[in-house]
Amino acid sequence: MRAGRIASAAAFTLPLLALLVLWEVVVRAFDVSPRVFPAIEPVVKAGIDSIADGSLIRHIGASLVRIALGTSIGILVAVPLGIAMGTNRAVSAFFTPLLRFFSVLAGIAWIPIATLWFGYGFGAITFVIFNAVFFVVAYNTLLGVTGIAMPLRHAALSLGATRRQLLTEVLLPGALPNIVTGIRTGLGFAWRGLIAAEMIATDVGLGYMLFVARDFYRTEVIVLGMIVIGALWLLIDRLLLAPLERATIERWGLVRAA
Amino acid sequence: MSAAVAISPWQRLWGAYVRGSARHPALASLVPFVPVIVLWAAVARSGIFPPVFFPGPVEVLRKFDTLMANGILPAYLEDSVVRLAAGTATGLALGIPLGLLIGMSDRAHRALWPALLFFQAIGDIAWLPILLIWFGFGLTTMIFVIVYTVLFPVVLNTVLGVRSVPLELHRAALSLGASKARVVWEVVLPGALPNIMTGLRNGLGFGWRALIAAEIIVGTSGIGFLMFDARRAGSVVEIMLGMIVLGVLWYIVDGWVLAPIERATGERWGLVTR
Amino acid sequence: MKSLTITHLQKTYFDPFAARQVTAIRDISLTVEAGDFVSVVGPSGCGKTTMLNLIAGFLPPTGGEIRVDGRAVSGPGPDRGVVFQSFALFPWRTVLDNVAFGPKMRGVPKARRHEIAQEYLALAGLAHAAERYPNELSGGMQQRVGVVRALANEPDVLLMDEPFASVDAQTRMTLQEELTRIWAQRRSTVLFITHDVNEAVFLSNRVVVLSHGSVLDDIAIDLPRPRSWDALIEDAAFKTLAARVLQQVRAA
Repeated sequence: MRAGRIASAAAFTLPLLALLVLWEVVVRAFDVSPRVFPAIEPVVKAGIDSIADGSLIRHIGASLVRIALGTSIGILVAVPLGIAMGTNRAVSAFFTPLLRFFSVLAGIAWIPIATLWFGYGFGAITFVIFNAVFFVVAYNTLLGVTGIAMPLRHAALSLGATRRQLLTEVLLPGALPNIVTGIRTGLGFAWRGLIAAEMIATDVGLGYMLFVARDFYRTEVIVLGMIVIGALWLLIDRLLLAPLERATIERWGLVRAA
Repeated sequence: MSAAVAISPWQRLWGAYVRGSARHPALASLVPFVPVIVLWAAVARSGIFPPVFFPGPVEVLRKFDTLMANGILPAYLEDSVVRLAAGTATGLALGIPLGLLIGMSDRAHRALWPALLFFQAIGDIAWLPILLIWFGFGLTTMIFVIVYTVLFPVVLNTVLGVRSVPLELHRAALSLGASKARVVWEVVLPGALPNIMTGLRNGLGFGWRALIAAEIIVGTSGIGFLMFDARRAGSVVEIMLGMIVLGVLWYIVDGWVLAPIERATGERWGLVTR
Repeated sequence: MKSLTITHLQKTYFDPFAARQVTAIRDISLTVEAGDFVSVVGPSGCGKTTMLNLIAGFLPPTGGEIRVDGRAVSGPGPDRGVVFQSFALFPWRTVLDNVAFGPKMRGVPKARRHEIAQEYLALAGLAHAAERYPNELSGGMQQRVGVVRALANEPDVLLMDEPFASVDAQTRMTLQEELTRIWAQRRSTVLFITHDVNEAVFLSNRVVVLSHGSVLDDIAIDLPRPRSWDALIEDAAFKTLAARVLQQVRAA
């Protein structure tokens, strides 16, 4: 088991290491100007510096807090709402097109209006993240609830379930695969919306770090930021989303393992 | 004998609605918006929020007329759509072959998959600053962002599609005399097509959003720019108009162009791996 | 186990497309005595599934009465257990937890309800599958779980909606024999819906033929028990009864 895990971790990192080598080789071989693309060393140095003076931690911290908050609130509001909408056929038929429409306006499109309503800073960004998560999760929850076959609900009722028990024992678990998919998609939108919003609406955070570095042509900071953003998302995916999906969806055989 | 149960007027109305929306599916998609618009108008009229912050549907509609009349909206729409089309076409041209390769070759899969996942994790937006340094505030930057965004769903779904083609179909083709190349063209590609369509549909959705983001942050024209510029001028009406145009446009494209294509291929052939 | 009585059951519903009322159940009156096994057969569209849904309480009747042990019932409840054609097992719960579901709803403590569930699983020969998830089991095994899940809740009446229709022919015969064995042990009151005439005759004491939403015929099956397919498949009395029922169904 351990050997398998180590092997797959190695299989994952090896090609990336190869990429790093390629990066360094290309930059040296073509004598690429540091303004266009930095070599590995300046990036590492920029990384060490920004950790040392605490700025990287601050930016990462700010971004993570915003996304954690916005996403949590979004999920907490969207799931109950989605379930409530899904239990009544007429209500769900009514809200499905609406939610689908608003899902399209993923986080980013809300930035202009958010900054006008809330001004620059934490409120606007959290609002953007909330929207990115809320509509998608609500829509998917709705889809999940309506997708629960009638026989399952009937079975629960004929086994004596009350309305509340129907909710917790059938509707919630039954809709969970869709909810998890919705969270994954919503989180993706939220992450991108966060970076975009931080570029234009605040003065701390990873997006801001990237954008300000551009002003000073500090490509090594930009590349550092991009790598950090990529790594963070991979961590979120591997440590948060994948285990969630494994524990729920795949275990119950509702979706084939990827 | 069945008792004569009277049909209530509500049932008649419901019946008319069900029949109407079966013949015109658009009805089922549009009717739910009516109460929303009414609610919007009511909230705007009530003055809970200052009208500067929360205009009503009437003002937005008026602004729509103005911008259509003076040609700004059509021009911006055209710009946005052209960028999206160019970016998507490029994304498809790059993504499908890449997906085929990765799907069919274990070696390619092992070598490229981690990099694919990593670059997908970075996301298109994070590329903007460095793109701005390389290409400035122009069309190239925006196309790059769209291509980047469209690429990943297309590749991922193509890989899924390729892998969902049952081994027996490969074998059947080979035992009927097809060369390896012919198998790709005659079996793998059609077999993966439904999933590729799904990938295209997702990619287009992401691409659309990426375009707007790029226009908001970078742009010189386009719907996203319309919203950004309006924000600078503090005009909520245009922002709302922009958002509605976005939503409606996507709704139309997805519902009336993409979904039917996806259905015509995937469902017609009884495939579609979700 | 208790008796089930339906009196002048009626069901009409509004068809939005045709914009008129449609009669699914015209007038059905029927009694299943306590401990009796009654099958209901009929051509497609005769209303047998609708009738079961009405009795189970999943649909409200437009007219008539449903009484269990003399008590009027409406809405679904644990007094009328249901076995579904699609099994309707909860995919997110293990086999054991599925069978323990009814007791859990009643508030039976965990240890006790697991005990009950184990008992019933043993009855169906599925004790070894207790910790599996439904999707890991074959169709036949899943339906066995479905049956014992309903039984574990000790309903007054057991309603079975074409329970073996989704299972292959050989497994079906095995399940039918098992069902008669379990029924003989517990003398449950069973109302069994099926389109398979042979199955109806094999399982029941009485076969009711439905046609266009009302009862066409009520045929007593006096074959001796226990019944097995090996014995009955060539039996003259069985074949005569089956032919008679089939004739009625065809005439419906």
